[in-house]
Amino acid sequence: MKREPIELFMPPNMLKAKAGSGPGGLDMAAVKRAEQAMETLKSEFADWLADDVGVLVAARTRYGQQPDAATRASLLRAAHDIKGQAATFNYPLIARVAGSLSRMIGDLPESATLPLSLIDAHVNAILVIHKQAMQDTGDKIALALCTELDARVDELLPK
Amino acid sequence: MSGYRFDRFKVLVVDDNIHMRKLVTTILQAFGVIQIYEAENGDRAWAILREANPDVVVMDWMMEGMSGIELTRMIRTNPQSPNPFVPVIMLTGHTLIEDVAEARDAGINEFIAKPVSVKTMMQRLVAVIEHPRPYVRTGAYFGPCRRRRGDADYRGPERRSASATQQAAE
Repeated sequence: MKREPIELFMPPNMLKAKAGSGPGGLDMAAVKRAEQAMETLKSEFADWLADDVGVLVAARTRYGQQPDAATRASLLRAAHDIKGQAATFNYPLIARVAGSLSRMIGDLPESATLPLSLIDAHVNAILVIHKQAMQDTGDKIALALCTELDARVDELLPK
Repeated sequence: MSGYRFDRFKVLVVDDNIHMRKLVTTILQAFGVIQIYEAENGDRAWAILREANPDVVVMDWMMEGMSGIELTRMIRTNPQSPNPFVPVIMLTGHTLIEDVAEARDAGINEFIAKPVSVKTMMQRLVAVIEHPRPYVRTGAYFGPCRRRRGDADYRGPERRSASATQQAAE
């Protein structure tokens, strides 16, 4: 077994020196302030998500016009952004559909062409859920649609 | 008990999505952070790092151009890095175990899987304040120690000596 030298050391904790002794755990007063700030921000979430969906639609259009590595990467970033953010913005179903789309784009080999019809099925689902402002996860039709999209992506991806 | 002096922190927020930057900066401001720098890509973040030398970096993973992983490697290993020890909190939609491992191997300190919550952001900040990990330098890695806990019963070869892949090959 080849051995390499290992250096293990603890740098000075400059952050602790700045932060002071503090509560030693969660600063609940600060958490409460931040949760109140988030409540105020929530009125903007629908508009923010609309912007992100617009970016996704534009990325889909560019990929359709010129399907190359750059437009594919843009499409993946747009889907991935929505996957991460839609739940924060109180649209968990959109997060799920965007997760399915980013899984398809990310996991299909670069050499494989992305099926536009399945991309569009995802983008259209996101548009409908957003337009109808479905913020809960109880809608049976929407859930069935999510399940179907997941299954279609499963079929497509290499086993 | 009084709270942390977050007002003394300089925090750099790196995300190519303006809404996520606003969300994170809103949370940090409510915590009390005053000096917040924003960068929309890795190149701008690198410039700010060298100009402002922040105390903490909160960054997205997937960005156009330089990714958060590449930026973290630069912070840790580039000779021009102003602070190779700066705590990096990665905020990302990547949630698979192998993603966490890749981020850890790049040298991040803490990982937040989206959706973002106030409590998680506070937990990660407290982690870098109260429970900093030692740093490790080997031929293949420089960054925070990748072991969360010591395993007193482990009797195998030294796992820090190289990457897991290399050890498996050996």
